[in-house]
Amino acid sequence: MEIRPILSAMSRNKIGALLIALQIALTLSIVTNAAFIVNQRSDFVARPTGLDDANTFIAITTNFDSNIDAKQLLLDDLDHINAIPGVKAAITSHSIPVSGSGNGMTYQLAKDTPSNEAVSFGNFSVDENGLEAFDLDLVAGRNFRPEEITWRTLESNDDTKVVLISQALADALFPDGDALGKMIWEDESSEAPTEIIGIYDHMQNAWPDSSNVNLTSLQPFRDLSGPDHYFIVRTEPGERNRIMTQVEEYLAQNRGRMVHVVRSFEEQKGRTYASDIAMIKLLSGVVVILTIVTSLGIVGLAWFSVTQRRKQIGTRRALGATRFDIMRYFMVENWLITSMGLAIGIVGALSLNWFLDTEYQIGRMPLYYLPLGLVLLWVLGQVAVFAPARRAANIPPALATRSV
Amino acid sequence: MFSYYLKLAWKSILRNPVLSSLMVLALGLGIGAFMTTYTVYYLMSGDPIPHKSDVLYALQLDNWDPNSPPTESQRDVQPQITYRDAEYLMHADTPATRQAAMYRTSVTVQPESADEPPFDGTTRATYHTFFTMFDVPFLYGEPWRMTEDDGRERVVVLSRKMNDQLFAGENSLGRNVRMNDALFRVVGVLDDWQVTPRFYQVDGGNVFADAEDFYIPMSTGVEMVIQPHGNVNCWLAPEGGGLDAFLRSECVWIQFWAELSTPEEAVAYKAFLDNFVRSQKEIGRYPRPLNTFISPVMEWMAINEVVSTDNRVLVRVAFLFLLVCILNTVGLLLAKFLGKGPEVALRRAMGASKNAVFSQNLVEVCSIGVMGGVVGILLAWMGLQLIDKLYRGYQNLVHLDGAMLSAALLVAVLSSIVAGIYPVWRVARLAPAGYLKTQ
Repeated sequence: MEIRPILSAMSRNKIGALLIALQIALTLSIVTNAAFIVNQRSDFVARPTGLDDANTFIAITTNFDSNIDAKQLLLDDLDHINAIPGVKAAITSHSIPVSGSGNGMTYQLAKDTPSNEAVSFGNFSVDENGLEAFDLDLVAGRNFRPEEITWRTLESNDDTKVVLISQALADALFPDGDALGKMIWEDESSEAPTEIIGIYDHMQNAWPDSSNVNLTSLQPFRDLSGPDHYFIVRTEPGERNRIMTQVEEYLAQNRGRMVHVVRSFEEQKGRTYASDIAMIKLLSGVVVILTIVTSLGIVGLAWFSVTQRRKQIGTRRALGATRFDIMRYFMVENWLITSMGLAIGIVGALSLNWFLDTEYQIGRMPLYYLPLGLVLLWVLGQVAVFAPARRAANIPPALATRSV
Repeated sequence: MFSYYLKLAWKSILRNPVLSSLMVLALGLGIGAFMTTYTVYYLMSGDPIPHKSDVLYALQLDNWDPNSPPTESQRDVQPQITYRDAEYLMHADTPATRQAAMYRTSVTVQPESADEPPFDGTTRATYHTFFTMFDVPFLYGEPWRMTEDDGRERVVVLSRKMNDQLFAGENSLGRNVRMNDALFRVVGVLDDWQVTPRFYQVDGGNVFADAEDFYIPMSTGVEMVIQPHGNVNCWLAPEGGGLDAFLRSECVWIQFWAELSTPEEAVAYKAFLDNFVRSQKEIGRYPRPLNTFISPVMEWMAINEVVSTDNRVLVRVAFLFLLVCILNTVGLLLAKFLGKGPEVALRRAMGASKNAVFSQNLVEVCSIGVMGGVVGILLAWMGLQLIDKLYRGYQNLVHLDGAMLSAALLVAVLSSIVAGIYPVWRVARLAPAGYLKTQ
């Protein structure tokens, strides 16, 4: 239909059309890659921790008064917190899941297994309430018995006799699925093996970036080897904040220790993933602002070209073109320019992804981001050009009869 | 002439206020985004100790598991060393000008008045050489001496900030601070001191965080079992329980630095280390091939990838974003200047040369650039506040210094010239006659 006259008009202002096309091309390249990174990071952050995230909080205390009976204090603390109505379970552990800092260990199948064949994982010390506090379900075997819980100090850190391991760790150690009841060794200096008495469904270790993030174990001991104590408290739904305040007040009553941190597990997770969440927010911001800038650019240029062509438009109207014809002219023109830009943009998007992947290992962008980006920018272009096109359509035919 | 051009530029800018603000805003957004990410990059990749970074070396000794994969590069070797090796080196007669072993930890500080709650103090346990080696400025007092290191004495050097907090900024030399239930005597107070990145410990914590508030002798820290808060890596469990077994073990948790004033000294020191490792092989340690490394500060920063990959990606993306904004501005300027045809024609007809028209319009473009730059700096400042909020421990990476401010303005004006040169050239080349006829 009227594509030919549009092309011929465009060829008189090649640079203007090219500028918009290039802008569209760059926008497509950036938007697809940014959206890809945002989705990737969102999936990364959203992986289940295994815990009851919303109803769990942590507290960290440090004993400094040398007169403190650390063992008795810890037992009193656990009794007190567990007795608070609304608390499902409270434990102390020497590691906190997804906190960025914890205890990494290895298990191997025999005492003399070479160390490079050992499986490394994240370990958590717990008591018999560990499964309940971390919200874990046993897939096989049994929980710890109270008499199996030992104390670990700087002087005595013997290997535990029994252990619970995650399904993922069980699969890594025993690919045939017969881990339950097996004896495993911490390293060649271990004096006795450890028995796998149970397997639980899933819990992440302390390091979300690690390749063995799903390989974890629970060992039955309470840790007194340092002055710091990590409490992990799981509450009934909706009770978390109230109990958090209550526990903080209780812990601070003892003047021989310092209460560093009392924070919800969700907040802890947010801190650990701070850089990923920042990346998600910053790149989402870039996508939004970029689309606004690009559409404002389109509006500005179209507006100007309408102003410049007022006389021609008036003439066309006077010669019988309907308002719809005029609008269609600008919409089609924009569609053509956008499509040209998108054609360049597909190459740009793939090149940018190739560059970012080669240099910074962001991964290969799935191809379906391209059609999504194309549709977004086509729609964006049409929406942006709508107002100037309507303005053009409203130019009265009488304009043609006036001079200037 | 220039001020007349400025006046003309201002008039022309005001004639199309929407279009002009669109251009200023687009340029400002592009520059703001780019400067935000680039400032963080610039501060992350900066030289933390410019006058000495080429004579300060980090040490790596490969005492690791013989079954681990072979060492292919420095990155495969642990960035920290064992306590026993650190102690040996500190007391050996080495070719180094200075050496300092250290680890990061924290202490519980108990203020004198019972009303104030105890708090957590970030601490570095090290040797007296730390301060001289890293040129740390003192406000009061001076570093402790070797005798205090050897005597495991309870002495402390405070940061200026901590001295302000604990002693209201007074000269606190000789006064005591209660930490971990023991009294430490203040022997020194630092003046303001911040190195970014905190190059002397690159792993197991935030590299861009504030310098520590308390400095105590490492010997005292170890004796009082003030445990390290950085990474502790062991390939072999300590033999037996207790502190002594841990100190004797192959666990690495000490950062070790040497000041080697000349290249010859560096060669001699490296040879000394190699000999030490060979002697240890004879008693059954160091089962891997000989892999000792010494790396000056900037090399050490590169090996440990101190600049985050995310930041590098963001700088690239922000640069492309700036390109879009420049293209946007070119388009708008082109539209605007082509609309100026009649006015330019009139000027030409009245005798203005092509050059005069060119410079006059260039002034207008640069004015838009300067305004875009100012908006950009404002947005960059806001962007940096946002970065500070989003990330943890980035407080030392969000300052626009003089260099960055001038860079921002320069980028703005350059962008506007890049954006404007073609439109300005086009409009100066317009043939006046055609426009004049229609008037």
